Amino acid sequence: MALLSAAVKAWIGREVHYPAVEEIGRASIRYFARALGDDNPLYRDDAFAREQGYESLVAPPTLVVETCQYADRAPDENGYAGHHWDLPVTGCRMIRAGNAYEFTRPVLPSDRISVTWTLEDIVERTSSKGGSLLFVTSVARHRDGAGDLLAVNREMLVYQPLEAGE
Amino acid sequence: MSAQGPGDALSPLERHFSASDLVLYGAATWDWHRLHYDQAFASEMGLDAPIIDGQIYGALFAKQAMDEFGPKAFVRRLEFRMRNMAFAGDTLVARGEVTERRAEETREVLSLNQRLLRGETVIAQATTEVSLPARTICR
Repeated sequence: MALLSAAVKAWIGREVHYPAVEEIGRASIRYFARALGDDNPLYRDDAFAREQGYESLVAPPTLVVETCQYADRAPDENGYAGHHWDLPVTGCRMIRAGNAYEFTRPVLPSDRISVTWTLEDIVERTSSKGGSLLFVTSVARHRDGAGDLLAVNREMLVYQPLEAGE
Repeated sequence: MSAQGPGDALSPLERHFSASDLVLYGAATWDWHRLHYDQAFASEMGLDAPIIDGQIYGALFAKQAMDEFGPKAFVRRLEFRMRNMAFAGDTLVARGEVTERRAEETREVLSLNQRLLRGETVIAQATTEVSLPARTICR
């Protein structure tokens, strides 16, 4: 089964920009830390964070690349509201293969973050069980209000035909 | 006491993921995908149970590093690969060690190998770089 059709290939190089909607905010940071069971005062206590040399409390390291707060999209039929490429691939489930993050500085609650996603590459590979898999690599660049890079998230997703499921 | 140099182990980080933990994480990241809480949908996708959103593994690896090296530490790179799926109800343990330590201008940079395990099964693996003000590490 050939997954990498010309129609799918045509998506390579596409780019979507999400302008900043609002500041990340203290509530989002505290909520994220809560969801991780993380009571580090760095994420909830301005005075503590200033003692450590920060301007204010900061976000946990990976919040910026995990949250879909920037996207401001209505949830789709499956409840997903983050960035998504509408690739013309059917009969597959999508699985995360991995992510590579680079960070330039801690994120502050006052940061207004815009995000640009680029679809870097799509390749088809044969799985260990002999079926076809589609590997989709995308890059998100997160910038602050001054346009400076805060984080880069290179993400690899795999489309696996449902009939090949374990 | 924190790990300081190559070979030193990081303190393990254990985390149980109940179904409500997955809902909480989804909401906190503005991601309400039903694959992470809807049993019927998970079955339709050929899965035994709602799966843990793999993104949270990055957060756990980062938390383990921050817990180890303190509030002045800065996680500047983190790359993780998924090895096996994990599901609502699983308890996962992050383990890792320092693989390299080097000086860079005013900072010390530590490289880490980390892995997330369910029993003996590797769920995800990471390589991480943490930088610290030079004076916070002494040996």
